[in-house]
Amino acid sequence: MGFPYKETAVVGVYTTEQARGITRSPFSLEIEALKGALADAGLELKDLDGIATTRLQSLISGSYDPLHFWAEQLGQRSITFMGSGQPAAALAKGALAVSAGMCEVFALVHGKSKTTWNASKAALPTTAPRVGDWSELIYGATRISWYAAWAQRYMHEFGVTSEQMAEVAVDARYHATLNPNSIMGSRGEITVEDVVTSRMIASPLRLLDCALDNDGGYAVIITSAKRARDLKKKPVYVLGASEAAYIDYYLNLPCPSFPREGGAVRKATEIALGMSGIKREDIDVAGLYDCFTVTVLRNLEEMGFCKIGEGADYVKGGRLRLGGPMPVNPDGGLLSNSHNGNPGGMHVIEVVRQLRAEVEPKRQVKDARIGIAISQGMSVHGGAGVMVMGV
Amino acid sequence: MTWLRPLPTINPENKPFFAGLRERKFRVPKCQSCGHFNWTPYPACRSCLSTEQEWTEVSGKGTLYTFSVVHSGPKTFTQDGPYVWAFMKLQEGPRPLIVMGNLVGVPHDKIAINMPVQIGYYDVPGHDMTLYHFEAAPA
Repeated sequence: MGFPYKETAVVGVYTTEQARGITRSPFSLEIEALKGALADAGLELKDLDGIATTRLQSLISGSYDPLHFWAEQLGQRSITFMGSGQPAAALAKGALAVSAGMCEVFALVHGKSKTTWNASKAALPTTAPRVGDWSELIYGATRISWYAAWAQRYMHEFGVTSEQMAEVAVDARYHATLNPNSIMGSRGEITVEDVVTSRMIASPLRLLDCALDNDGGYAVIITSAKRARDLKKKPVYVLGASEAAYIDYYLNLPCPSFPREGGAVRKATEIALGMSGIKREDIDVAGLYDCFTVTVLRNLEEMGFCKIGEGADYVKGGRLRLGGPMPVNPDGGLLSNSHNGNPGGMHVIEVVRQLRAEVEPKRQVKDARIGIAISQGMSVHGGAGVMVMGV
Repeated sequence: MTWLRPLPTINPENKPFFAGLRERKFRVPKCQSCGHFNWTPYPACRSCLSTEQEWTEVSGKGTLYTFSVVHSGPKTFTQDGPYVWAFMKLQEGPRPLIVMGNLVGVPHDKIAINMPVQIGYYDVPGHDMTLYHFEAAPA
């Protein structure tokens, strides 16, 4: 006897309003998302016994582990699995916990409002703040500057141009125009020219190379495949899932950054695809973390959808679009749909909705049976979570 | 002018580094077991996990690994205009030493990856502290 290793499935997904300047608390977004995702699955709150949140500590007691908060908030019950990690990685481990019998119904919950990644919005301090001894803040680093410096080296290594990278943003916006819930869709399509003439944020990244910076929440529910078959929606089976990290949090840049076969993103992809038995050419739809245009190019390379350094060639001519061999981020992605602070679950949710065939018909990938979603981050591509899913 | 940019917290462990900056020296933890340098400083050597590391002065010379001219960032930086956030690759090895900091004194349109750079030092006004930045080095 040991861990039973049951098959698992994503059975519930939910996104709250995604918008700039949401005035509700992050907690109210989390609660709406959690209830919404359980309802989507046809499950009840009492069924929940595993959870992961993007919070780092208890909202009330200050405990190091948000498990304690949820155990109390959910009515002093035993939460038997507490996940952690980037959203797709937290889902990977949640699926593992269900598979191994540590919990039966697992939820990943995220909610964010009233904070921003935009360092330029902070007020001038009156005295010099003291930070960690090796902190990036001493030198004025921003999240964008990290990806910008990485993009600069990437363009140098492979001769990639800003115009080539811009195609990713153009395709994301096109998809957003088909998604009535996207933040940027109503602004209409953009061109490569629009991207490369938009305001410079941190060279070489311009405004339209960057993800949005908005508020919102979401939740995803995973349970056993056996239980999933009796629930409300078509189960989306977890075929492979993984996590990898190879660098500390915004402290170092790997050297050499390029050309390299990749670190966490490649490793996590190989593990997840390996356990699924799915071949890359069999994937119908992909949710690729797209915090910046350059990120998508590197995801395509490190995940093995093209050769190292050939991401720009891969995306040429709208290949990421609906109708292409593997549409990427048909919701508009972080670039044009929503970046709600810790948005790695959004790619999983879009892939689930595509595999359920429940999105607006004009942005539905036809006969989608297999999907992959990746979340990444940390010192730029230093950590990753991958979910391979199928119906 | 009051210095408003973030400053590092100095403690007994990192004091040899910041005292070194005061003397215009850039010191890096060198593993006494395998001889590798380790930057950013970590509790143990990244090559062999030995905790026997000694602050060792390095050349301060190297090349620009990559950079970004930051237009939108903290006001304490952008109030003087766009600034350069950069990674320098020190010439010491064998494992590459990548140091982050600000590149100063180079016109932004003249900055190029792999250009020779060196570590320079500046005293923080109003604080008993010296920090480092990067500057162009003779080729």
